[in-house]
Amino acid sequence: MFLEARGIIKAFGAFRAVDGADLDVTQGEIVGLIGPNGAGKSTFFNCLAGDAEPTAGTIRFLDRDVTNATPEVHARLGMARTFQVPVTFEDMTVVENVMVGAFLRHHHRAGAMRKAEEVLEFTGLSHLAGSPARSLGTPGRKRLEIARALATEPRLLLLDEALAGLTPAEVRLAIELVRRIKGLGITIVIVEHIMEVILSLAERAVVFHQGKVIAQGAPRAVVDDPAVIAAYLGHHMKRVRM
Amino acid sequence: MILLQVTVSGLLMGSVYALFSSGLTLIWGMMNVVNFAHGDFVMLAMYAAFFAFTLLKLGPIFFIPGAAAILFVLGVVVYLGLVRHVAKGPMLAQILGTFGLALVLRYAAFWAFTANFVSLPSNLAGGTFDFYGLRIEASRLLAGVLALVITTGMHLVLTRTALGSRLLAVAEDRNAAMLMGIRPDRMQAVAWGIGAASTGVAGALIALFFYVSPTVGESLSLIAFVVVCLGGFGSVPGALIAGLGIGVIQALSAYLIGAVYQDVIVYSLFLLVLWVRPQGLMGTN
Amino acid sequence: MKQWPLVLIGFLFIAAWPLLVDDVFLQRVGALVLLAAISASAWNLLGGYAGQVSVGHAVYFGAGAYASLVVYTELGWPPIAGAPVGVAVSLAIAALIGTPTFRLRGHYFSMATIAAAELFRILAANWPLLGAAVGLMGPPVPRTVADLSFLSPIPYHYLFLAVLVVLLTLTWKMQRSRMGYYLAAIRGGDRAARSLGVPVLRYKLYALLLSAGFTSIAGSLYAVMVGFIDPDSALGILISVKLLIIAALGGAGTLFGPLVGAMILIPLEETTNAMFGGGGTGITFIVYGAIILLVARFQPRGIAALWEAITTRRASRVP
Ligand SMILES: Nc1ncnc2c1ncn2[C@@H]1O[C@H](COP(=O)(O)OP(=O)(O)O)[C@@H](O)[C@H]1O
Ligand SMILES: [Mg+2]
Repeated sequence: MFLEARGIIKAFGAFRAVDGADLDVTQGEIVGLIGPNGAGKSTFFNCLAGDAEPTAGTIRFLDRDVTNATPEVHARLGMARTFQVPVTFEDMTVVENVMVGAFLRHHHRAGAMRKAEEVLEFTGLSHLAGSPARSLGTPGRKRLEIARALATEPRLLLLDEALAGLTPAEVRLAIELVRRIKGLGITIVIVEHIMEVILSLAERAVVFHQGKVIAQGAPRAVVDDPAVIAAYLGHHMKRVRM
Repeated sequence: MILLQVTVSGLLMGSVYALFSSGLTLIWGMMNVVNFAHGDFVMLAMYAAFFAFTLLKLGPIFFIPGAAAILFVLGVVVYLGLVRHVAKGPMLAQILGTFGLALVLRYAAFWAFTANFVSLPSNLAGGTFDFYGLRIEASRLLAGVLALVITTGMHLVLTRTALGSRLLAVAEDRNAAMLMGIRPDRMQAVAWGIGAASTGVAGALIALFFYVSPTVGESLSLIAFVVVCLGGFGSVPGALIAGLGIGVIQALSAYLIGAVYQDVIVYSLFLLVLWVRPQGLMGTN
Repeated sequence: MKQWPLVLIGFLFIAAWPLLVDDVFLQRVGALVLLAAISASAWNLLGGYAGQVSVGHAVYFGAGAYASLVVYTELGWPPIAGAPVGVAVSLAIAALIGTPTFRLRGHYFSMATIAAAELFRILAANWPLLGAAVGLMGPPVPRTVADLSFLSPIPYHYLFLAVLVVLLTLTWKMQRSRMGYYLAAIRGGDRAARSLGVPVLRYKLYALLLSAGFTSIAGSLYAVMVGFIDPDSALGILISVKLLIIAALGGAGTLFGPLVGAMILIPLEETTNAMFGGGGTGITFIVYGAIILLVARFQPRGIAALWEAITTRRASRVP
């Protein structure tokens, strides 16, 4: 199995943000992870990427146990991720940000630079290469974060609400970008709030609710599932962003 | 008996530590900014008490609240003039800002008051009395008890009053507080005022029994950091327990190992705790 | 780098300084500027490039300074022979303290470094081998040239300049290598850096070891030149603060920031000391404090940011 998470629990004190979640991902697919705010999606991503140690459960990636491996090891194995709130290296230019990722596989400056330029071209950021990263707005930062992750030449990309806060036009561009990333042969797991995005991108949807997977399958079918609708409606009033 | 004596004087001193550390923990918890000049605030209050007595002939009943008022104003001014601006900048700027302030205060005092140690007459609060064989100076007793009362009062203000809940709301979530009609800037200024006022009272109390010198603030700042880290950031009860603990540990190690090593013990303990539990002994997250 | 001509002119000016001025006071100031530039540039490797604001670098400065004079007082060696010993001790302390301390973020890291440095100061002030509170003296009269004890500041000037050139060349190479990018990423945020495969702890440790080693060398050079140290002048918290202030004024995390900071602050310090005699230390630190307070308030990225603003504005005016 490409990626296999079994019985993942992540507890903060007595509260279980992730409560026994399973996930299987096969190579080459786009999986959409949906669920109301606070469902535990970001925490689950952190566990997958080695950023948080699961309280219980096992994670295997490319037939290796990575449950307790560090984020560095994950990156080296080929798992890259973006953060829900982008973390930009503000003192650097756009291309330098991407070079940090590229240095993972290219130890010399020239090689890293070439890789970074290639990724900027691919993500449509070339014209901003020399600008200070701190001058970017949220959409630019989200795209930069994707570029930086791509520069590590991953086999699996975890996108945490990479499209949130974008205008409809920007969303269309981002969807197109995700499709092209898949075209490179990279497997993608994407957390997204906007149903239309999941419907148009994902081949399979997994629904989180209160730390558990409550449904999964074809996006269309999942969206019509009464349990899913109930979960969303129940949370409709309480739109607190983490 | 001697150990008990040492422990009691440690507790009395620790209670004053708890008082000014509560001020630091309040500021820290409110806005995640550290005041490297905190100990120097205490030093200023000590001089304020000293000069109020020697020049104006004012007794403790006047100079303790007086020092609190002066330091409250200083705290608000420092917040509005400096901290508010550096808090938005990189972390280096935050450290530089209050460190610069510490240097200015410390060496301005050095320049204005010279490096000489001065002290108030030791009998301002009464003499030394015997309590079942335990010898306690009235000034230390007054300082310890008053500090304990005020620290507890601060905790009650924070947890039981409207002002307290507005302060906590800002500490919790600035933006949410703003939506509730609270002005975060004003609340943070108040927090700095209260934080500094706590050093005002503490400094005036310490001056009752301890010599005053321009550099006394340096080690007091470190003590406050230790107490806040051990007690958990933003927690007044934590600061109280940790302050008392540090007072006792200091007094015991001074007695058992030697006065020059008392801070070695305290700093070692501090490092150990940071290394083992970076979130502090009583911190939760 | 379009700024090479400027760098060259600056270098020539500094190299020629002791020959341009006749006055021993001014020559001495020149040497002290270079020494401060070495120390602050060493601090900059960790505090500037990696963004780990240490307020405890006096430990490494003191280790170098004490090692130099201890090999003289105990073994009769020339003080400079203590420099490698100081470096070894510094690296050991750095590895010991750094590994657990790097898990701390932001202020907690700074605070732990202060506490560790104060701990070492108190221990040194009570350790007879290190002269306790009195401190240590170097050779009163030079026995051989190896004692590096000269009346004129000029030999020190060129010795320090050589060390500074080595350090800055190394820093420049580092800045352009993978390590430079990784340190900048760490400064930008541990978590994001790790997600891109940056071994954060390892690189912080590299930066600390480099930084501690060179700070220690600066301490040794100081002891060799001044010939007398005590716990406050070699291990005091003000040493740590000075390194930080000099680097921050010029621009932390920039190649020439510490040198520029030293060129401003050291002449100022020496002038106030000369003007006010013994009481000058007080005035010096009022000025130091006021300067960093103002820098933090109005120009948190130091003079380097001003410079950048000026040069980019000029560049953008060109069509
Ligand atoms: N570090 C943490 N400590 C305590 N609780 C946390 C922490 N991180 C997340 N949580 C809680 O876990 C729950 C899930 O959060 P999250 O994974 O961010 O949800 P989602 O990404 O699905 O919106 C939330 O209730 C959140 O408050
Ligand atoms: Mg989330």
